[in-house]
Amino acid sequence: MINFIEISKKFKTDFWTQYFWALENVSFEIAEGHIIGFLGANGAGKTTLIKILMGLIKTSSGRVEFSTKLGKNQKEVFSNMGLLPERPYFYPHLTGNEFIYYLGSLNNVSKIDLKQRINYWAERFKITHALERKLKTYSKGMLQRLGFISTIIHNPKMVILDEPLSGLDPIGRKEIKDSIVEINKEGRTVFFSSHIVPDVEEICKRVVFLEKGTLLYDGQIDHLIEKNMKPNYQIKYYANDEIITQEIPIVEKEEFLKKIINNNQKIISVEKLRPSLEEILYNIKTK
Amino acid sequence: MNDINDFCYKCYVVFKYTFFEIIKSKVLMNVFLLGLGLLLICYIAYSFTYGVPERVVLDVGLGMLSLSSVGMAIFFGVGLISKEIENRTIYMILSRPISRKAFLLGRIMGMVGVLILNILILSVLTLVLYVFLGGSIQSLILISIFFSIIEAIIVLLIVVFFSLITNPTLSVIYTVVVYIIGHSISDTMINGFAKKSVIISSILNVYSVIFPNFNKLNLKDLILYKQYLPFTTFCGITTYGLVYMLFLIFITSIIFERKNLD
Repeated sequence: MINFIEISKKFKTDFWTQYFWALENVSFEIAEGHIIGFLGANGAGKTTLIKILMGLIKTSSGRVEFSTKLGKNQKEVFSNMGLLPERPYFYPHLTGNEFIYYLGSLNNVSKIDLKQRINYWAERFKITHALERKLKTYSKGMLQRLGFISTIIHNPKMVILDEPLSGLDPIGRKEIKDSIVEINKEGRTVFFSSHIVPDVEEICKRVVFLEKGTLLYDGQIDHLIEKNMKPNYQIKYYANDEIITQEIPIVEKEEFLKKIINNNQKIISVEKLRPSLEEILYNIKTK
Repeated sequence: MNDINDFCYKCYVVFKYTFFEIIKSKVLMNVFLLGLGLLLICYIAYSFTYGVPERVVLDVGLGMLSLSSVGMAIFFGVGLISKEIENRTIYMILSRPISRKAFLLGRIMGMVGVLILNILILSVLTLVLYVFLGGSIQSLILISIFFSIIEAIIVLLIVVFFSLITNPTLSVIYTVVVYIIGHSISDTMINGFAKKSVIISSILNVYSVIFPNFNKLNLKDLILYKQYLPFTTFCGITTYGLVYMLFLIFITSIIFERKNLD
């Protein structure tokens, strides 16, 4: 759907300093219909890449190619995309309704459709009561929810979310994550940028991992985990009224289990050790 | 919807919500307070005047409305685009099917709407007091108010231009400098010392071509002494103002189009 081809971007903080590379030869593809996690530590270059994608800044080299399914020209492409930037600031004196009508009107959504969609999503995020209030009275979580609504109000084919869960309480995080999965099931492609690995692991099948402006991994999360599986088993059992957890190499598993049974101890679980995505990415990063 | 209609519609949408946003920020309350202050100052000026109090009221009123609208243009204009970039609101707007030009024009039009409203409110207050004190409304007064609007719009466009190429503080300083020089350039050019020096007069000539000459838009002396403004002069000044506005919009939109919004 979107192809990043050898994207590089250099910045200069001021006239006297040297250039630094925020992105170096980053190439990957956002495939249609998936939720793609875009991971990287703070300052890895995620937001810079999103800004390049939306034409807000220019590349130093490389290009972004859009599939014709998104549109034939920039106007059509942007009609089919929705962006929720990181920590967005909203017009404090507009009401929630006015803000969404403003953005919806820019996407040529009719007033009737806007009303229906606002009602649905506001109810879903429990902010219906606040829609006529000025945005300066909203809490951070309410603003984030409103931002999410405004991002999808025009039913885009592709949704780009830059740290959409930041500043949300656990309930808010779950609501947004569920909504991301829901809009994906409806057929929308989601590009989900975050520096919180478990969030990405929870809802994405594919991940793009950026570190200091360089692409370190692009592929399925399952493949990455399978590849990094430890050759160990974790065995939990009761012994002397205590739960004991032990890590055993595969070759010693059978013998160890026999020993437990012979000692009349009760086995609780036998699991192959599965590293978390966070551990794997940390290892990739430090290699 | 064809491209031109779409462009106009997007401009209108941005204009509408920019206007609402500024109006709802209690700016009107400030305008009314300013209006009350204006009435008070006019009354004080009237009390201390012998002979032609209504003219003094008119002079003070028109001067204040011009200054207040210029002040408003500078202090709202400086953040009109730069704050949008700083606060990342612009990302949510420009990631939609709207061109940067339409966004810029819409924002400027919204602010122009607020300036016109401010000038109209203060003009009505001034004129009511002026008529109450026995003055009669001449077309020159209305033309002067019209030129105040043009002046405020030019100042707004200058501050928006500077805000795209430098930081807000410098933008305000540069705009104030351009405004002050713009009001004194005509007098400086006819100064004997400047006339004698070829270099200075050349610099002043070049300056007056590039930068705005706000003195052309100031009709207060004409009004006070009831001089006549020929129609051709009116058309010339209006054209000068409009051309200058178009020139500023043109260069500002080119800069904004190419600007990295990071």
